[in-house]
Amino acid sequence: MSAIWTIASLTVREAVRRKLVAACAVISVVLVAVSGWGFDRLSHGSGFTSGETNLALPQAVVLFMFMFSFVVALSASAIASLAVSSEIDSGVLQAVVARPVRRSDVLIGKWLGMVGLLAAYTAVVCGLLVAVVYWTSGFVAPDPAAAAAFVLAEGVVLLTLVLLLSTRLSALAAGVIGVAVFGMAWLAGVVGALGTAFHIRALHTVSVISQYVMPTDGLWHGAIYYLEPPSFVTQQLADSPVGQGDPFLAVAAPAWPYLTWAGIWLVLVLLLGLVSFERREL
Amino acid sequence: MSPARSAEQAAGPGRGPDVPGACAQAPGSPAIHAMALTKRYGRTVALSGLSMTVARGEVFGFLGPNGAGKTTAVKLLLGLVRPTGGEAMVLGAPAGDRQTRRQIGYLPELFRYQSWLTAREVLILHCRLQRMSRPRWAAAADEALRVAGLAGRGDDKVGTFSKGMQQRLGLGVALLGEPALVVLDEPTSALDPVGRHDVRTIIRELRGRGTTVFLNTHLLEEAEHVCDRVTIISRGRSVATGTLAELRAPRPGVRLRVGGLADGWWQRLAGFGRWTPQGEWLLVDDMAAGRVPELVGAIVSLGGQVEAVIPERQSLEDRFLELLEDS
Repeated sequence: MSAIWTIASLTVREAVRRKLVAACAVISVVLVAVSGWGFDRLSHGSGFTSGETNLALPQAVVLFMFMFSFVVALSASAIASLAVSSEIDSGVLQAVVARPVRRSDVLIGKWLGMVGLLAAYTAVVCGLLVAVVYWTSGFVAPDPAAAAAFVLAEGVVLLTLVLLLSTRLSALAAGVIGVAVFGMAWLAGVVGALGTAFHIRALHTVSVISQYVMPTDGLWHGAIYYLEPPSFVTQQLADSPVGQGDPFLAVAAPAWPYLTWAGIWLVLVLLLGLVSFERREL
Repeated sequence: MSPARSAEQAAGPGRGPDVPGACAQAPGSPAIHAMALTKRYGRTVALSGLSMTVARGEVFGFLGPNGAGKTTAVKLLLGLVRPTGGEAMVLGAPAGDRQTRRQIGYLPELFRYQSWLTAREVLILHCRLQRMSRPRWAAAADEALRVAGLAGRGDDKVGTFSKGMQQRLGLGVALLGEPALVVLDEPTSALDPVGRHDVRTIIRELRGRGTTVFLNTHLLEEAEHVCDRVTIISRGRSVATGTLAELRAPRPGVRLRVGGLADGWWQRLAGFGRWTPQGEWLLVDDMAAGRVPELVGAIVSLGGQVEAVIPERQSLEDRFLELLEDS
């Protein structure tokens, strides 16, 4: 356990020392500040009626979170891709695993460190966003903490996959494949929404399969659901082709069996990563 | 004494087990015992049936040209790669055993440490990984910095270090916690002559403390200075093992300067060995051991005046090249 903690704290310290945390903090503050200005204009300077504003604000929050979920996913992919393969290539890892530590402890330590960083980043940005949106427009999403948790879960899923890839592939290959799979999963979700709207069963099926193979898009829909006020998702909208085909609309929270599957997926991929790293010749 | 025989004797009586795993529980087991250790990468044979025994407390040189399989052997001994054949015991436990790694210090050939940490932080990180008790960290790090010649640079970032200084840091990391076995893979590859001298001094100090040193190098001079015994490997195979004296002089000889005799006199003594005139000197090699006094006596009995007798030893480099050619 102490080795896991040592490696986890080393991972966090690396992110701080290499100014990754500072860079993310600066970008996030700028992003939230610009968004705050946008939300202020949307609420007070757009000439919208209050009804129109009430419709636009949740959509704008969802769009911001969509962009932020991409940032989280890309960040997760970037840090995870460098975690193993680049340290093997440079020789740093050989000196570490020659010590009396389990390789699994090294990988779990890295994973925990990166998840901790991602969680802190998500919590800070989502917290700032909620505060700024409330301050500028008075709008509060129904459950921003749950939405943030889903965005984080999405990032952790991608991080775990890229970490697995990083035990075998170069950092570049692992990162590129991870981002490509993430993008394809999101696209499959859009295609599935169109399939539902236009009653094309094959497209819908592809989307469902994709959400099980790579749960990021399914988790993203959980984030959307908890950002939309209940009044926003009317039955009429949910039943209409427009509503069903909208990739930024969720008519229901992800079901527990699906969330359970996402948890199992995460554990399986992490275990696969541990086995792969254990067998990796250094 | 044959090189192979000398290896067994160096391991001590009853300390060189012949059956795999037999030395696991033996308290006086050798530091390293490899049995037909083999590693293949696809169709490439990196190491082919390496067998060797390194006694506790000796400085053992592992010599070979680039690409001979030296680093592969080191990685096998540390459990960084798995063998495709054979096995190795290190400090009485199977190679790679996690608990045993507490007693092993390792300087990798590719020495790289976290560039964003200070040298002291790197050392403390390894103290933690080594599961050293917390109160010992600071003293252990300071001692390692001193021994490695980095006193005063402990609070500098590793990223600001030259390659030589990073290698010195790697040496300090390898020596943390007074390990029973120190594995040094090309420890002077980035060092200047002063650094090389320092490393030799450190190795001698380790030997003085009874620490086993496994020195992986292609520098014959380095091995000549510090090693008790060496194994020479070529193309993944061990081609010779023994003390440097044993390896250097498979055919002892003598260089003579003799006066008072007519040209060609030496042909009458052809039975002593192979004679080669070299100016005013005569080289006699392929001699049987211990026949030099008898030879000198024979020359004197012929009426010759023996002005100089210099024992001839083949240089390690010559022997090294000869062994590589033979292999």
